[in-house]
Amino acid sequence: MEENNNMTAERSLAIITEQIERSRRAVSKSTGQSLYISGLCTMAMAVIVPIVNLLILPDGYATLGHLLWFTLPFIIVFTIRTIYKNREHAPVSLVGTLVGKTWQTFGVFGLGFFVLANVWNYILYHSTDNTMAIIAHQANFTPIIYLLMGMAVAITGHILNSRWLVWFGIVASLVIAVCDFACVGTMLLSRFGAPLSIIAHSNSILPCVSVFVLALFGLMLPGLMLKNQK
Amino acid sequence: MFKPLDPLLHSELRLAIMSLLISDLEAEFPYIKEQTGATAGNLSVQVDKLAAAEYIEVVKTFKGKRPCTICRITLKGQQAFEAYIEALKSYLQVSKP
Repeated sequence: MEENNNMTAERSLAIITEQIERSRRAVSKSTGQSLYISGLCTMAMAVIVPIVNLLILPDGYATLGHLLWFTLPFIIVFTIRTIYKNREHAPVSLVGTLVGKTWQTFGVFGLGFFVLANVWNYILYHSTDNTMAIIAHQANFTPIIYLLMGMAVAITGHILNSRWLVWFGIVASLVIAVCDFACVGTMLLSRFGAPLSIIAHSNSILPCVSVFVLALFGLMLPGLMLKNQK
Repeated sequence: MFKPLDPLLHSELRLAIMSLLISDLEAEFPYIKEQTGATAGNLSVQVDKLAAAEYIEVVKTFKGKRPCTICRITLKGQQAFEAYIEALKSYLQVSKP
């Protein structure tokens, strides 16, 4: 592109449209790469956590592997920085920033609630006050985390103007949260003859299956679509 | 009645730079070069002209050990771009059949 000061109004308009469209594509691609890597890391973690839980099951610490979720934000940031270290930086855009902030907010709320719910459950189990045990209830935090994750997927869909992503976020998280409340997964495990030891510790495996599904359709696939967008 | 077009923006390359920066909050020099297809020398001259008019601000920093030039549109630049679009509309309305 050279310096040309004798442009028609149509030519000016064409330049503006073309550059904005180019910028939109570059931002979509960059956002897609980050979503894709985040999805892959989350899915990998959803596979590692139940394996760890099953390995430590004989020692009586069946859900201890869930603490690995705390390392996920660091793994995602590290992976993205390592892979795209030598590539040109995509522009900082409002769209990319909004998507990033949405998932950062989800991370803060999700992990924060995870900690608070576990502290609450710990206090409840170790309380000697009988009244408290009658009135108070154990905090079942996984449905809340699914709903938060679904909300993040839906907001990402709104920002990226992807209607199917919005509906997927809403429907999938609601279905998974309700199934979790109703213990559908445990019932299915029982129905298909899973060993009793697995059924008893289903809460160390089933949340990971739900997170895997949400990460596959909510992060990895939209990321892949944006990444490969022409 | 035609509104006057800002001569600083009524240039292919400078308009392309401003159009890129209006949709992105900030962009690195190599990214602008790639998107506009301009040569580094020409782009540098036009960026300096826009920076001198305070339409954009240029921040020279380092990315690791490599120097990195970041261009960012200013409020004055946004207002100038909006005024240019408004002026452009008057020309486009006349040229419509």
